[in-house]
Amino acid sequence: MKKLLLLLISLVLIFGCAASANKRSLNALPKSDFSVEIPAGWWKPQYVNKYLITKDGPFLQYVLIQQRPIDHPFKNTKKKLRKRMLPLESARIIIDEIASDRNIANFNVIENTPAIIDGHAGFKILFTYMDKKGSVFKTLYYGFISDNTFFSLRYNAATRHYYEKDIADFQQILNSFKLVEG
Amino acid sequence: MKNVAFIITVCFMVAACAAPPPITVDEALTAGKEETLLWRLALEEQQVINSSGWLYRNAELETYLNAVAAKLKTVADSPDISFDIKIINDPHLNAFAFPNGVIYVHTGVLARMENEAQLAALLAHEMTHCTHRHSLRVLKSIKDRPGYMAAVQKSIEKVAMAQELAQFLGVNGSRTAVTGYTREFETEADRVGLDLMAQAGYDPRQALNLFEHLRQEIEIEGVKEPFFFGTHPSVQQRIENASLWLATEYSGKDTGLINSEIFRSRLDELVLDNARLDLRIGRFYIAQSSVEKYLRRNPDDAGAHYLLGEIFRQQGRQDDTEKAIKQYKKAIVLDPSFPAPHKAMGLMHYEEGERRLAQKFFETCLLLSPNAPDKAYIQGYLEKCINTGKES
Repeated sequence: MKKLLLLLISLVLIFGCAASANKRSLNALPKSDFSVEIPAGWWKPQYVNKYLITKDGPFLQYVLIQQRPIDHPFKNTKKKLRKRMLPLESARIIIDEIASDRNIANFNVIENTPAIIDGHAGFKILFTYMDKKGSVFKTLYYGFISDNTFFSLRYNAATRHYYEKDIADFQQILNSFKLVEG
Repeated sequence: MKNVAFIITVCFMVAACAAPPPITVDEALTAGKEETLLWRLALEEQQVINSSGWLYRNAELETYLNAVAAKLKTVADSPDISFDIKIINDPHLNAFAFPNGVIYVHTGVLARMENEAQLAALLAHEMTHCTHRHSLRVLKSIKDRPGYMAAVQKSIEKVAMAQELAQFLGVNGSRTAVTGYTREFETEADRVGLDLMAQAGYDPRQALNLFEHLRQEIEIEGVKEPFFFGTHPSVQQRIENASLWLATEYSGKDTGLINSEIFRSRLDELVLDNARLDLRIGRFYIAQSSVEKYLRRNPDDAGAHYLLGEIFRQQGRQDDTEKAIKQYKKAIVLDPSFPAPHKAMGLMHYEEGERRLAQKFFETCLLLSPNAPDKAYIQGYLEKCINTGKES
C-alpha cells in the first residue's frame, strides 16, 4: 500500500513537472518583425497573447516587446505618433499615455533621454508608479519609430528586489534586438 | 465572514432601483453599525485617493471652495457633518461625495464653470448626498437583496470614468461614493441642492446653466458621461426637472448672487492647469477653449500663449503650424527668459530641416534652462544642427 502511494506521488510529481515545464517555455511567442536573444530562465505565460516574457511571474517582472502601426491612436489619450517624429516628441506621447492611465497612481518620470536601439534614434524613459494594490513598480521603456511602425521594449518589475535583479537580462535582450527584413 | 459579506454588499450598492427606506436626515450620525462601517470604508478610500498623487494642491482655492460649502451648510437642514472639499487633478467632468462629508471635485468640472453660483449648485448637490445619507439608504435598501448586485455592477460599467476610479479604489474600499447613487437620490440631490443654493442667496437659474453648459460639452466632444451629470437620471431629464422647478417654485425669483469675478480670479490658475491635462489626453478643442478663456482675462501671460502654441503644434492640422509659431513668438516677446517657446520653435524648425534657425532657438533654450529635464535631447539636436552647418 505504501509502495503504491509512493508510486502515485512520484507519477503526480513527474507529470506535474512536465506540465510545469510545458507552461514555462517560450512557445507561442507572437510572430514579429524583430528578433531578440532571450537569456535562460525566461518564459512566456500561456494566457498572454503578447510578446511578453517573465522569470518569476508577470506580477513580479516582465519584458514586453511591442510593435504597432503609428497611425493607431493610443488607448488613454487617443494621440497618434507620426512618421519621422522626433524621439523627444514620441517620448512625450508615451509619457502622456502612461500618465493618463487611471489604473496607476503616483506616476513619476525619473529619466527621459535619447537612445539608440538597433541603430534607430529613439528614446529611453525610466519611471515608477503604484498599482491598485499599492505595490510600486519601476519601468525602463525604450521606443523608436521605423517607417510606419512604432517599436517598444520595456522592462517592468517590482521596485523592491526584482527590478535590480533582472535588469542585466533586459539589457542583454535590448542589445540583441534587431529588426527583421520583411 | 459576515463583515466580508457586508463589505461586498457595500461594494455593489450603487444604482439599485429599490425604493429607499425612509431615514430622517436628523437621525444621529454613525449611530448604527452600518453607518460606522460606511464611514470607516470612506476614510480608507480617501486615504487611497489622498496618497495617489491625484490631488490638486492649491490651499487658497480649497479654502475658497470650503467657504462656499460653509455658506451652504448654514442653511442646510442636516446633521452636523463637517464638509471638506478637495480637488482631484483630472480633466473629466466629475464630482463625488463620501458619506462622511468629504467631497472631491475634479479640476475638469471646475474649469468649465463660469461663476460661484454654479459652484454652489454642484456643491449643494453633492452635500445633499451626505446630509440625506444616500449611501446608507442605498445600503439598507439592497443589503438583504443580493439579486440587485448584477444590475448594480452593470450600471457601474456604464459610468466609465467613475468605474476607473472605483476600480482603483475597489481593492481597498467600498465604492461608497465614486460610483454614484440611484435615480431617486440623484433627483433628490438636484431638488434639495437647488433649494439650498437659493436659500444661501445664490441665483438658482445658474444650476440650469451649469447643466446646459456641460450637456453641450458632452455632446460636442462625445466625452464620457460624467458621474455628477451621469446616466441616472439622464442629463436631459435633469435639465427638464430643473427647468420645471425653476418655472414653478422659483418663478419670479430671478435674482441672487452669481459672483463671477471673484470666482474667475480664484479659478484662473486651475483653468490653465486643467488645460494642460486636456492637452495631455489629446482633448485639443477643450484645451484650446480653456486657454482662450484664460487669455481673455490674462492676455499677457507668456505661459498661456506657449500652451496655446503647443495645442496647435500637437494637433498638427493645416495652418496649425503658423498659429503655433504666432503664439510662441508672442510668448517670447512677453517673457524672453521663458525657455519653453524657444525649445518649441527650435523643434519646429528642426523638423522642417531649417537647422540654422533651429540652432539659434536651441542655444537660447539651453542658455535659459541649462538643467532642463530634456536637455540631452536638445543637446543632441543642437549638435546635429552645428554639424550640418559645418558640412554646408
